[in-house]
This record gives sequence, structure tokens and C-alpha cells, in this order.
Amino acid sequence: MLKRRPLAVLLGLALLSGCATLGEGGASRLDLIRQRRSLRCGVSGKIPGFSYLQTDGSYSGLDVDLCKAFAAAFVPETGAVDYRPLTAPERFTALRTGEIDLLSRNTTMNLSRDAAGGNGLSFAPVVFHDGQGLMVTTDSGINRLEDLQGQSICVGSGTTTEQNLNDAFEARGIAYTPIKYQDLNQVVAGYLQGRCQAMTSDRSQLAAARSGFADPRRHRILEEVLSKEPLAPASVGGDQRLADAMRWVVYALITAEELGITQATVQRRYNEAKRRPELTRLRRFFGIDAGLGEKLGLNDDFVVKVIRATGHYGEIYNRNLGPQSQVPIPRGLNRLGRDGGVMVAPPFQ
Amino acid sequence: MQRRRQLLRHLRRHPLDSALSLAIVLLLAWALWATGQWVVEVADWRVVSANLPLYVSGAYPADQRWRPLVWLGLILTLTLVTLLWPRPRSGQRPGPMRVALPWLWLLMLPLGLAVLAGGAGTGLTAVSSRAWGGLVLTLLLTGASGLLALPLGVILALGRTSDLPVLRHGSRLYIDLMRAVPLIAVLFFGQLLVPLFLPVELEINRVVRAVVAFALFASAYVAEDVRGGLQSIPPTQREAAAALGLNAWQSLQLVVLPQALQIAIPALTNQAIGLLQNTSLMALLGLVELLGISRSLLANPAFIGRHLEVYVWLAALYWLLCTAMALLARRLERSVQPIPRAPGR
Repeated sequence: MLKRRPLAVLLGLALLSGCATLGEGGASRLDLIRQRRSLRCGVSGKIPGFSYLQTDGSYSGLDVDLCKAFAAAFVPETGAVDYRPLTAPERFTALRTGEIDLLSRNTTMNLSRDAAGGNGLSFAPVVFHDGQGLMVTTDSGINRLEDLQGQSICVGSGTTTEQNLNDAFEARGIAYTPIKYQDLNQVVAGYLQGRCQAMTSDRSQLAAARSGFADPRRHRILEEVLSKEPLAPASVGGDQRLADAMRWVVYALITAEELGITQATVQRRYNEAKRRPELTRLRRFFGIDAGLGEKLGLNDDFVVKVIRATGHYGEIYNRNLGPQSQVPIPRGLNRLGRDGGVMVAPPFQ
Repeated sequence: MQRRRQLLRHLRRHPLDSALSLAIVLLLAWALWATGQWVVEVADWRVVSANLPLYVSGAYPADQRWRPLVWLGLILTLTLVTLLWPRPRSGQRPGPMRVALPWLWLLMLPLGLAVLAGGAGTGLTAVSSRAWGGLVLTLLLTGASGLLALPLGVILALGRTSDLPVLRHGSRLYIDLMRAVPLIAVLFFGQLLVPLFLPVELEINRVVRAVVAFALFASAYVAEDVRGGLQSIPPTQREAAAALGLNAWQSLQLVVLPQALQIAIPALTNQAIGLLQNTSLMALLGLVELLGISRSLLANPAFIGRHLEVYVWLAALYWLLCTAMALLARRLERSVQPIPRAPGR
């Protein structure tokens, strides 16, 4: 009893102070970031291909490149980023308490995290559509789910992974034998020992596991995706200016890929658009006309800064997860809309 | 010769004995051989050798890495000096070096903080504690929380043995409460809940939060160790001190505490080593100390799957640190003035 009461008082106080801070309007985190001249970005730091520590002590990965893109837009003078490695339980607390400005830590977007009644976050557009996938050996001749008819598949037991596998195969009427293990490392070991023809997990995890194999080229991840895990950067809910700015930075990355503007060509295209007034679409995108950046509270040329810092979305993807990278993941849903993926951006108008 | 004969006699006592001994020797030899072969031939130590600077100081700016190195160098020198400096013979007064050593050790912590943080007053570039990591962070966490926990623990122990009911019950409540909560819960509270309670403008550095959480937790255990020391001092010591005309504070400071603390040294060493190992829990909370930095490095695609090498290396490193601490503590135990035993009656 003695222990509980002070805790209850503290919790009450916390709730009150939480309400007080949420109630303040007008001021945006964006102003604080610009004033500080560096962006505090929460990353995982422990996911191959997404964020990890390089030998020289700098962070690298898809999530890290997004931090750089945001920083290039928000703090154009320096583009400085302060990385803050976060574990899964502390990531939302770190956001809520203002320890970080935004979260770029492969967080799955879902209703309860977005809603004010839940975690109360604001999500930027999805930057990586992860999902459960299957890995097979290249010489097995398995190319589609249907080829797995009557085969055995290694899976972690008691997880949503197992459930999703069952749902997907049931729906297609494919019979299979699940071989269940306690955790991912055992699944990998079972697969490598040849106890099953395929193993299943989130595609990013499959890719990471594969890059540790003795001969990664002998293994392939199938194109089919069994579940939805849309990963998106997030900020605290109720800060519309920051949320809008983040949203349009991601859209700028996608639009740049649609327009074929790369890190290498952005300066040339920018100069060209400046010279030729008839390139209205490009001029709007680069912020030469219309002052779109200013409406977001950013510099008009924020798109140029972003592309110069990281390249367009496809370049970021290929650098970290493309076929030539160390953690290759087939692009699948993450292709542009016109190439059969779901990556599309609304117009810059 | 004598010993060899004894050994042989032991081995030959019974055929089963001999067989068992032989089996165990063979097993040990095989284990040693397999381990040696793995260490030399199979293991790929690039994950360690390529990342040594990261193990030392984490993501500390590359052009400033000499700062943590200088600090570690000073600590190493001080450790060696402490261990190897000749001890004064009994009855001799300790030399100036012996007198200076404890103060030099105490100076190491503020010096380390100043060298690492830099900024105004030091003439060095300021480096945010976000960039601290690796061995340096592990040592700082241990040192700072230990240095806070010791006085706090002594005060709690004195409170607990005090005659004033409020002090006594207050200290007891605190100690019992802290010992009833697992360390990881205290750390989670410090890292996740405390920032929620504070107003947004007030941001307490998370290294500081970790140090305070560790210190608050460890002080309860230190208090019990010191209380053990206090209670082993016979009441006649206080009475004798009173008879000499010392007041309560003087008798505590000059007679009781020095003896009690000396008795508590082995138990306190235990706490210090435990504290060093417990700092690895912070890896779960996102600090990149030794364990945290290793987990980040294992996510580097170039080093995926090198778990065994990294954890073996970490085990060796922690072993070295703990052994050094134990040796230092033994040295300390021997160097403090031995308690003159009451002449046997």
C-alpha cells in the first residue's frame, strides 16, 4: 500500500503535465530544430541495412539516410544529424519527452500508434513496405508459393509469422508441413541444415540473415509477401507543421525518382529549370516558382538540398538494400507506382 | 619429488579412479585443443580488430579520439603504479606516492568527465554525451555511480543504526524498498518514466539518469555491507573513545568508521564488480556501452553472424576489468592500517 500511493500521485502528475504540454499550440518543433541547427533523430542502430554502426563510428542504412534527408530540409545550413540509438520499448517515450525530434526506426504504422487515443503519433508516408516473405535455395527450382506444394517450411512457433503463413497457404489451397522452432536463429539453423525447403520471416530479417550465410548467392527471397508491415518515420502527434514537413520530404524523394532527378544530376536540372521558364513543373518542384517550401515553413529550395544530400528514394533504396548492397532485398512493393509498386507521391502544387 | 609421489599415489588408488582421472584429463585436453583451434583458425577476428576504436570510445568524433585514449592511458598507468609500487614496511611511514594515490584515483572521475565533455573552460571541443560509448562509457558509469553510492550507502547505514526512530525507520524503508525492486526495473523507471514526469523544457541527460539510478540502487546494498562493518565494532570502542573525551562525531569519524569500512572492503569490492557488470544492462536501454556497441556492430552487414567472436572478446575484456578491480581492492585491503587486535585475555 505504502508503495502504491506515491506512484499513483506521480502518475497523476505525469498525466497532468502531459495534458499541459499537448495543449500548447502554435510553436512547432521545427523552429526548435532550426534554432538548434541540428536534427535529433531516433534510430535503432541494430538492424542491418536500416541502421547500423560502421567501422568509422558513423551510422549507415535506409533509416539513417532518411534522417539525413530530413536534416537537409530542416537545417539546410549544416544538415547536421544527432543520432540517438533507441530500443523498441523506449522509442515512443523518447519522442513524447522531446528527447528526439523524430523517429526513423523501422516502426510499423498501425491504427493504435497513429490514433490520439493510442500512442498519438503522426506518421510520415511509408518508406519501406516490409512484410513476411519466404527464402529458398536458388537450386531448389522454387519460384512461386505454388511450387511449395507438399514441401516443409521452417517457421518460428507461436508468432504472427506462423499465423500468416497458415492463412496465406490455406487461402491458396496449398498443403505444406510447418517445422516449428523457438526463435529466428533456430529457424535459420534448421533451414541451413536442410530440414526444410523454405524458411519464413519478415523480408528484411530474411535478407539480414542471408547476408551472414557462407554463400548468400545460393539463397533467394520469393517475390510474394504474406503480411503487411509498413514502416514509416514518426513524430509526436499534434505538431502539424513538423508532420507536414516530414510528409513532403518523403514525397520529394519519391517525386524525384519519378522525374529521374538523381544526386548527380540535381544541380544541372536545377540550373536548367532556372534558365527555362517553360519547365513549370520542375520549377515548382525545385521551389523556383510558387514558393511551396515556404508554405511548409522550410526554404523554397528544400527539395534540392534533400536530393543533394541523399539522392532520390530509389538511390537510397539501392544504396542500402539494392541488389549490389550487402543486404539485398527485392524491391517489390517499394517500386514506384508506374513500375507496379505502391510508392506514389501527390503533386507538388 | 614428494608432491609427485603423492600425486601418483592418488591416481593409482583404484582402477576406477585412474580411469576417471584419465577421462577428465583427456576431456580437458580436447576442450583446450578445440578452443585453441577455434581461436586461431576458425574465428574471424576482423570484427574486433577493425572496430577497436569503437570498443574504446563508441561513436566519439574520430579526430577527438585521443581524448578518451589519454584518459584510459592515465587510468592504466595509475592501476599499474598502484599494483607495483612497493608497499611500506610495517612500522614505516607511507611515502608521498602512497599518500597521493587515493587522491589521484578520486581525481580520475572529474578529470575523465572534463576531458570527454570538453567545452567551456577546458579549451577542448565540446562533445555531447550522446557520442560517448564503449569502454569509456562503461568505466564512467561504474566510477560515477560507485562514487555516489559509497557516501550515500554510508549515510544510510549510519541512519539505520541510529537511535533516532525517524532516521532509523526512514533508512530501513529505503533499503528494503530498493532491495525489493529488481535493478532493471529501477533502470527502466529512470530511463522511461522519469522523463515523462519532468516538464518538456527540463531535459536530464540520460547518462546522468543512468548514473543516478545505479547509485540509488547500489547504495542500498552498500548500506547493508557497511552496517555489517559497523555492527562488528565492539561497543567498547565507542566507550573508550568517549572516555578519551571525543564527542559523538569525532568518535564516529576517528574510531568507528575507519574500522567498519576496512571490515566492509571485501563486500564493497563485490558490489563494485557487480556494478561494473550491471552497467551492461544499459545496452537494453539504448546506451552504447561495451555490450551496446557490440550489438550495434553485429548489425553491420560486414560482420553479420560474428556473434561468437564478439562475445568471446567481450568476456575477455570484462574478465580483465574485473580482475584488475579485484587486484586493486586486495591491494587496498592490505595497505590500510591493520586493526590492532585487542590483546588476548
